Formats: sequence, structure tokens, C-alpha cells
Amino acid sequence: MTETWGQLKSFEGKEFSTLDKNFTREASKLIGGQDLTACFQCAKCSAGCPVSDKVNVQVHELMRMLVFGLKEVLDTDMVWLCTTCYTCQERCPQGIDITDIIFGLKNMAFKEGKTPQGYIVSRKGLYDTGKLYEPTDWEREDLGLGDVPELDVEDTQKMFKDTGLMKLKEGDEE
Amino acid sequence: MTQSYEVFLGCSIPNRFNNYESSMRAVAEALDIELLDFDGASCCGTVVLKSIDETSWLALSGRNIALAGSRGHDIVTPCNGCFSSLKDVDHVLHSHEEHRRQVNATLKKLGLEFSGDVKIRHFVEVLYDLKDQIEDKIVHRLDGLKIAFHPGCHLIRPSPVAEFDDPELPRKVDELLELTGAQSVPWGLKLRCCGSPLLISSEEVATSILKEKMESAREAGADCVVTNCPACHTQFDVQVLGMKDDEGVSLELPALFVTQILGVAMGLDRERLGFDLNRVSLAPVAEKLGLQ
Repeated sequence: MTETWGQLKSFEGKEFSTLDKNFTREASKLIGGQDLTACFQCAKCSAGCPVSDKVNVQVHELMRMLVFGLKEVLDTDMVWLCTTCYTCQERCPQGIDITDIIFGLKNMAFKEGKTPQGYIVSRKGLYDTGKLYEPTDWEREDLGLGDVPELDVEDTQKMFKDTGLMKLKEGDEE
Repeated sequence: MTQSYEVFLGCSIPNRFNNYESSMRAVAEALDIELLDFDGASCCGTVVLKSIDETSWLALSGRNIALAGSRGHDIVTPCNGCFSSLKDVDHVLHSHEEHRRQVNATLKKLGLEFSGDVKIRHFVEVLYDLKDQIEDKIVHRLDGLKIAFHPGCHLIRPSPVAEFDDPELPRKVDELLELTGAQSVPWGLKLRCCGSPLLISSEEVATSILKEKMESAREAGADCVVTNCPACHTQFDVQVLGMKDDEGVSLELPALFVTQILGVAMGLDRERLGFDLNRVSLAPVAEKLGLQ
């Protein structure tokens, strides 16, 4: 399908050498990961997913990979092509916080440098300017609006130094 | 009684949609909702930061919530992304003791604390409370206008976090829009994501989702698409420009904010509703909106 993201394009002929239970355990500790192993593969998540027909690996397959402890899940396009719409999470009959788990997987993938370029640019922009988008003053006066409210930079940078946002992986520089 | 909130604008609205801010302020004034400036706010980080590093995301929105709390105020936001970030962080910090401890350790260095007693609301949620007052203020009826209303994912899902409307059959904002005499039409892909969060990772996939949405809205016979989120609106009013179906027929539909629809029906100052800033031509609905 799409060529935009992910090294794992297909399960066809693919052999996985290890089923790493520690990886399943690690994923279970993510925000929302507590019920991860309750997945029974009904695939209702994929039935309602807006990108099911646009990805190589679908949500229910991603969930299976997590239960099996396959770290290659971080190489699937589903991780970064999840729109974060929460339809799967809302509808999961097992009450698994699927979308939240995928957010955690994105965090893991980012740490390994497996991320679309846009996220790297956004992280720097957020750190440098305190915002993701630059305000414009188009027509503000005509609309009767005052100046664009300033967003904080100083405290934001202090916090990000504390949380290590710019040093998530080795080799990262502020 | 006057309701009072600090208004969290975020950065997407001032970046692209000053007409959303001004129409929101016009509607708020007419309904006696007090919007206080949110001094010292930082960006919410939205799903972008949550995707990169949840620890930083919790701290960033935790700080915004704590700031409003330190001044004894509740928060209102017109943006689904900000709404979701603030509500979601609030939810996590209420349910995970360890995360709360960690965020408060960071906030302590800034002289702040997340105490967990700040209410976070979307602007349309506040409007829904005032439904009766809005109904009394309708002076220009929009009979015959067919609206494809797009609530946007993060207004309603995940429902234990959003706490606003039925996640599978939302009706609240539709009820508000129908006070004007307009019809909120059912459309097959109404609850489908608009695709905008994917603009950062794959514009190609984001665009194919938008195309499906526009075809669904057209099939339902809608005259326009209405939103309450700047990220969704970016898809419907910016990314859609020039989009055609497989037969080469334009898929553009006039795209408006909820506050522009309510504002025009309430007879508010047209200038403040900012119709000149809508990108897709409003000509097909100009007569029904009384813009001519």
C-alpha cells in the first residue's frame, strides 16, 4: 500500500526469531497498556480504523505482535499512520486502550530514531519557540481582535530540560 | 449568571483562523460568557508532543492546568486538540499517582502544583449549557441549509476522557446548529477522522482520508461542512482546495465554524464573524446565510 513509512511491509515469508516476553511486559507498562494481553483478535479495531485500507499492517495485527513480543512492531507503518482518532479504543470489547498504547509505541520508536522527519522538526520548533504553529496577524484589527496572546517560552524550556525532551536518544543535541 | 473562564486559544487558531477566535468572542459576548486572557500559557503540545514523549506532554499541559488553577479559574478552549491534550493529561494525572508525582516535581521548580480541581471545557460544551438562551436569540433563520457537521474525534473520544457526548451518536452540537432552522444531515463518514493529524507524517494518506470524507458529505446532499476544531478545519477549508473526485468534479464545499453559523443566526456583527477569511468560496451558501 503506502510507501510512506515503515520497514515491515508484509508478513509474507517473514520469520521472527524471538518472541520476547520482556517486550510484551514493557508495552504493558505504557499508559493504557495494562489490559494489552486481553486482546482476543476479534479485529473490531481494524474494522473501524480510517487507515485499515491504507496500511501494510493493521491495528489488530499490531496488537497481535505486541502480545507475541515482536519488537518489529516498531517498524510497521501502523504506528505512525495511526490518526489518533480513538475509534478502536472506544469500541474494543475487551476495554483495551489501543490508541493510547500506540502513542506509547510512537514514543519508543522516536527514541530509536524511527520517526517521520516532521516530528523531529516539530520537537525543535516547540523547544525553540514554545509553540507548534506561528501566529499571524491577518485581519486581526478588522475583526476587532487584540494582539495575538504571547505563549510562554522560558518556563517551557525549563520543563523540557527537566524531562529531557531534546535528549531522548543518544546523539540528540539541544 | 455569567460564566467565567480563562480561554485557551492554543497556537493553531491564531496561526490560521482568526475568524474562529473572533466569531467565538462575538458569540460569547452575546451570551454573557466571560473569557479571561490565559496569561503565561504554553502550547498544549497536542498529539504531536504526546507522540514524541509523553513525559514532556504531561508536564506541558499539567503546567497550563496548574496555572489556571493557581488563579482560581476554569478553562475553556475552542480547539479539539487543546481540549484533548488538557482533558487527557488531567485524566492521566488523576488516575496515575506516579505520573502526578513526577509532573508535580517538575512544576514545583516553577512554583506551581497540579491540584486537580480545574474544570476543562470545550467552547461548544459551554454553548450547549446555554441552549435555551441561544434559541431565544435567533433572529435570522437558516431554514433549508443542509449542514454536514463534523464533531472531530477528540471532542467525543475517548468518551471516558472527553465526557461530552455519545461517542457513537453525538447529537449535542447538532441540536445547537438546528436551533437556527438549518438541518444537520446524517452522513456515512460523519464520525470518521478528518485525517489532519497525518499531515505531519504522510500528506498522501491525510489527503485520501479527506477525499473520502468530502465524497460522503456530498452524497448526503450537504451544502456545507461545519466544524469546531482548527485542525479539522485545516482539512476542510485549506487542504481541500483544488481537490477533485475521480471524474474531475470539485469536492470543495463551503466550510464554516459552529460559531459563524450561530453568530449569523443570532444577528451578530458580520465583520466579527470573519466570513472573508474562509478560503473555500461561500457563494453557494451566501444567500441562505444572508451574506449578499
